Amino acid sequence: MNQISLNPRLRTDITFPKWNGLKSYAVGSALFSSTIIMLILGTLLIQSHPALFASDLNLLSEVWDPAGGQYGIIPMIFGTLIIMSIAMIIALPLGVLSAIYIAETRSDRLKHILKSSLEVLAGIPSIVYGLIGVAYLSIWVAEGFELQTGRVILTAGLLLALMILPTIMTLSEDAISSVPRAYRENAASLGLYHYEIIKDIVLPAAKADIAGAALLALGRALGETMAVMLVIGSLDRLPSPLFNVLASSQTITSKLGREIAESAFGSTHFSVLVLMSLILVAFTLILTIAAQKLFTKDPHNA
Amino acid sequence: MFSRPIKLTLGTWTLTAALTLLSACSSPSTISVSGSSTVLPVVSRAAQAYSDTTGQRIIVNSGGSGVGFNQLAESKSDIGMMSRDITDKEKAQYPDSQFTPVAIGIDAVIPVVSSEIYEAGVTALSLADIAAVYKGEVDNWSTFGGPDKEILVIDKEASRGTRHTFMKAVMGSSTAKAAGADLVLGANNEEQTAMAQSDAAIGMISLAWMNDDVRGLSIKDGASLIDPNLKTIADGNYPIARELIIVIRDDISSEAQKFVDYILSPEGQTFVETSGYIKINP
Repeated sequence: MNQISLNPRLRTDITFPKWNGLKSYAVGSALFSSTIIMLILGTLLIQSHPALFASDLNLLSEVWDPAGGQYGIIPMIFGTLIIMSIAMIIALPLGVLSAIYIAETRSDRLKHILKSSLEVLAGIPSIVYGLIGVAYLSIWVAEGFELQTGRVILTAGLLLALMILPTIMTLSEDAISSVPRAYRENAASLGLYHYEIIKDIVLPAAKADIAGAALLALGRALGETMAVMLVIGSLDRLPSPLFNVLASSQTITSKLGREIAESAFGSTHFSVLVLMSLILVAFTLILTIAAQKLFTKDPHNA
Repeated sequence: MFSRPIKLTLGTWTLTAALTLLSACSSPSTISVSGSSTVLPVVSRAAQAYSDTTGQRIIVNSGGSGVGFNQLAESKSDIGMMSRDITDKEKAQYPDSQFTPVAIGIDAVIPVVSSEIYEAGVTALSLADIAAVYKGEVDNWSTFGGPDKEILVIDKEASRGTRHTFMKAVMGSSTAKAAGADLVLGANNEEQTAMAQSDAAIGMISLAWMNDDVRGLSIKDGASLIDPNLKTIADGNYPIARELIIVIRDDISSEAQKFVDYILSPEGQTFVETSGYIKINP
């Protein structure tokens, strides 16, 4: 976790020694990894097949009632998207600004301390965040907004923001720090103020990598289960009015977390749950592809 | 770019898989039990005492009645704990297996309210009142002579045995939908926490899980009141009672069968009582 470099300039081409055992081992590992991904996708497709081709499930409705044969997945997709948005809206500016602060204005020693603590923060298991969410955050939200319960969309969004903040901060900081010193020195010699250097030189140069950091964080936000499940309220209903963030909701992951174990393998219920996870994987794949597109661009011509 | 995080994940997976394999190989005689968090206290107490005396390894997991049945049916466990009957739908999904439910105790599902509401004077409701709340027809405690506060209606996950029993008694159908629900929670302890955190909540909880923050309501039946206590439940007057069940398959291992016999023995039955329920073999 400690040094994830997002900068293509740091990529080194590995040349293997002329020892075929090692080489085939490396190739084997690579193939094994991609096979696993293919297997997962294949399994999801096969298992969600019955749900996709059944006609009377009302997949695009708002009603989730397996006992009554109603499998509307819209509330879960909406919950996932709105919580992800809240988390990103809060964490992205906060994370990038902190990264600028750490990278541009502090001594190397302090930078080191701040970065290592951030990396520890990124490694805390999500259930720990979830417990903090149940014990404190949801109570504060309930009191602050005078709600009956703090297990609402906003709480989940805030908690998720907290969880992805370290990722955004540490990766953005890497991006900003890796902008060559020469750029800054040239800019300074042209008489630019420090804030102008950051705004007009450093940030544009690091733009692509910061976007990559944001996408990685988004991926985590999408997939987070335990913490969200504990504070979301698990109500399979669209909030009313639609953008009322003080209502309880349900995300795809919290739905899966609560129901996948109790749905019989091979049943329609199971199949629809798998379909939802397929949708989640599709989101993540699109994000990953977008991220790779960004990375392959040369940031210095951006 | 991505190779590093992906490798890490892979490593973790391999490790997990290896550990799982290892634990599966080294424990042919371990009895695995899973299911209802209502039945769990009894079985885990009994398991503790049983393994202390016999050395038998027993793993007891929560997850709810639905999970308990599925894991048993898919041979992922030896014994399933359920706080409701096996539904016909569940049976139909596994036509090749024979399941035997064994009652090990009696429990009641108690409609509970936050202590603030109880102390403000709402100590008894009729089943129809409770149904109205869960249907969303009544949304303020003042209707029942309580404070002018909105009711926080806490519902449970659809597969939970507690919910089946409660909805059957209150709404008439074990899978009735609750349009008035504000929160959907899982196990008894999760519900207990949410009830304690709120000052205007109503919920359903198993007898053993009531405490000072989570107060049980008496049921109004015409002019008479039925208090939720061991006596009214044992004599069958309390309307929302059920049997605590452990389910076994026909091909149960002899070790697991011995453990089931132990739970039904006089010694095993004491754990039903210490868990706050009523013995099946008095």
